Amino acid sequence: MAERYSSFQSGSATWLLQRVTAAFLVVTLAFHFLMLHFLNEASQITFAGTQFRMAQVGYFVTMGLFLVTAAFHGVNGVYNALINQGLEGTQKTAVKWVLIVAGVALVAQGLYVALVMGGYI
Amino acid sequence: MSQSYNRGLIEDFGRWREFTAGMWAWIFHKFTGWVLIGYLFTHIAVLSTALSGSEAYTTTIQSLEQIPVVRVLEVGLLAVAVFHILNGIRLLFIDLGVGLESQDKSFYAALIVTAIIVVASVPTFLAGAF
Amino acid sequence: MSTQIPESETESQPETDSESEAQQRRLAEKAARKERAATEASADTTAGPTVELRVFRYDPDVAEKQEPRFDTFNVPFEKGMTVLDALIYARDHFDSTLTFRHSCRQAVCGSDALFINGRQRLGCQTQISDLHGDVVRVEPLPHREVEKDLVVDMEHFYEQMEAVEPYFQSDEIPEGEQLQSRENHEKIKTSTRCIWCAACMSSCNIAAGDNQYLGPAAINKAYRFYMDEREEEAVQRHRLKVLDQEHGVWRCQTQFSCTNVCPKDIPLTEHIQELKREAVKQNLKFW
Repeated sequence: MAERYSSFQSGSATWLLQRVTAAFLVVTLAFHFLMLHFLNEASQITFAGTQFRMAQVGYFVTMGLFLVTAAFHGVNGVYNALINQGLEGTQKTAVKWVLIVAGVALVAQGLYVALVMGGYI
Repeated sequence: MSQSYNRGLIEDFGRWREFTAGMWAWIFHKFTGWVLIGYLFTHIAVLSTALSGSEAYTTTIQSLEQIPVVRVLEVGLLAVAVFHILNGIRLLFIDLGVGLESQDKSFYAALIVTAIIVVASVPTFLAGAF
Repeated sequence: MSTQIPESETESQPETDSESEAQQRRLAEKAARKERAATEASADTTAGPTVELRVFRYDPDVAEKQEPRFDTFNVPFEKGMTVLDALIYARDHFDSTLTFRHSCRQAVCGSDALFINGRQRLGCQTQISDLHGDVVRVEPLPHREVEKDLVVDMEHFYEQMEAVEPYFQSDEIPEGEQLQSRENHEKIKTSTRCIWCAACMSSCNIAAGDNQYLGPAAINKAYRFYMDEREEEAVQRHRLKVLDQEHGVWRCQTQFSCTNVCPKDIPLTEHIQELKREAVKQNLKFW
């Protein structure tokens, strides 16, 4: 269909992605809480302990995905909440780009920290 | 045409006693959402102390964990996260078209389960805090 | 001849002149009516049960009503009385400047959607005996500009309805009848009941915040035609484009307030959700 716009014009892609990330986050956030407050004790966290966990590739990849999906879900949620409040026009575009940049920066920083924690770099 | 009168948002919040279950769900989900995204940024910032070496990281986290207020806030974070997850699951079912008739009951269920989980977790979270 | 108007409790003294006797009787009756009306309007006398109506008043053209206020009317209660009945009584007997829209009084025209005791309802559909509490609080629909008393500006609502092209569109008109199957009619039946009362729009918090949001009524209207099998696919795609926008179906946060207040029991949220799923399905096809 030549006249069909790219799917990113419609809101259905982000709507669906918000739900898909939500389902993934239900599991990973619950796991993260259990890991760090019940299986380990938050007050006993040491760099060594963290490094031990992060050095395991499976755990590292999970945390990486956790960060990316959480950042998307959160930033998209904030954006939608603001639109519901009535954000529009140039303000909206400005806020959208600030949020995108903040989200990307968050993921970049988080991934970098994770790599250092795991001793990969 | 004479001017019309806009009663504004103030009138809305004064009516909180008349809010329905669906409205409370929306309000709480939004509120918990904002708290969580705010926390995510703070969390990554705290974890970034790992870049300054293992000493900095361990010291920062352990000294934060000594402060009683921080431990109480962690319980708050748990409550916020658990509610957002449970109501989120409720919303996922609604989006799939399942259980629309009992949408208000499922909201109350989410609140109650959140309360149960939080109360049950308090001993673990506050162990050795005071 | 005494022209003094006698008290209602005392019988007028029979005069020797029959004309003035009749005159005195008429004057006495008139005085009695006047006094009855006066006592009815005040709070302390009850010839029977009354209901206390507290009504929002606003009139930019009248000095005392330029700042909104609430007026109290004590309306005599009759079995089966609706809020609309009470308002009409108050207007006819106590204050003829009380202004509100109403027409059919049988919940089909959608004129008298009001905010009664904290909820959007139709005045003619609300039995006073069904309401809790001693006072019936009547206000204009929330999130709409008030023009006078209980009358709100409906222009924005109509604009959103027009935006979804709320009429049947088809280029392929068949010879003879254009029949709709029974199953298809069953599917859209509830969505055809909309009376354009705007109760749903007024209850939606997102419609309140986001001016461009189409709103539950408009989306439901679009649903009614989108799901109608007699419209062809090209029309369906056209309709979906209107709905599949940032301020279309995606703004709905499944708050369910619209479904709760709809006086015609239309499952609005369900219809909006179905359209969201439709949009996702249609868009997935083109990846």
